[in-house]
Amino acid sequence: MSTTLIAIGAGIAVLSGAGAGIGIGLATSKAADAIARQPEADSKITKALLLGAALAEATAIYGFVIAFLILILLK
Amino acid sequence: MLEELNCKTVFTIPIFGGLDISESTVITWFIIAFVAVLCIVLVRNLSVESPSKKQQVLELAVGGLYNLFDGLLGKAGKRYIPYLMSILIYLGISNVIGILGIKPPTKDMNVTAALALMSIILIEYAGIHAKGGRGFIKSFAQPMAIMTPINILEIFIRPLSLCMRLFGNILGGFVVMELIKYFVPAIIPIPFSFYFDIFDGLIQAYVFVFLTSLFIKESIE
Repeated sequence: MSTTLIAIGAGIAVLSGAGAGIGIGLATSKAADAIARQPEADSKITKALLLGAALAEATAIYGFVIAFLILILLK
Repeated sequence: MLEELNCKTVFTIPIFGGLDISESTVITWFIIAFVAVLCIVLVRNLSVESPSKKQQVLELAVGGLYNLFDGLLGKAGKRYIPYLMSILIYLGISNVIGILGIKPPTKDMNVTAALALMSIILIEYAGIHAKGGRGFIKSFAQPMAIMTPINILEIFIRPLSLCMRLFGNILGGFVVMELIKYFVPAIIPIPFSFYFDIFDGLIQAYVFVFLTSLFIKESIE
């Protein structure tokens, strides 16, 4: 019983990945738009996109780390 | 599967009641030796008059990295570029090393925590160096006095997020690769390995130094 609950808890923690997916998707679509409009600003846009994606991705990573800690510590 | 994730102790040095040397430390030693040998071999026979092909490639690579950080840090931050470049090279090698079947050292949270601590010490030192002690303390009340608790919290949040981001990404890639290898041992893991080991590893190494240099820029302004 308790193992099932632990697994469910870890699964719920990983749901945070959905938010990161939406965020990075939005950022990338806007970046593609911006590059299509102003191809000469390519390098600046890429820099901002990378930073934004790295920060947005952090939430998914936190979810993963929490799920991992749940699995390891409550085993 | 779960045993793969823990970092094993390779051997113990019998001083101070036994120092445990973990796997990541030993792999880091090998990376240090590799980079040191690479440095010695690559800088031999450099000349100003007739640069060889090797020297031109080397100059292109070092100059490119230098310009990248120069653009990020600006004039005042020039003195931090060598540190950031060496961290980038170390992280790049240690993230990509997974492709050889060796465990990446950055999969161990202790390594990323140490790197993040070094980064935050450098960031705060850069702030003190640029503004002086009084200016540094005053900068906590910027832009408004009400922001002071958030600015103090940032000292702890920044290294935590740097550490967790690098650790989580490399560990996540490692876990996904192990799962793929478990289900399909042949051929299929190769394209995934290119993504998780090479692309993601290099991007994360870049992001780590990129964020560090961004924070340094912010604190010296």
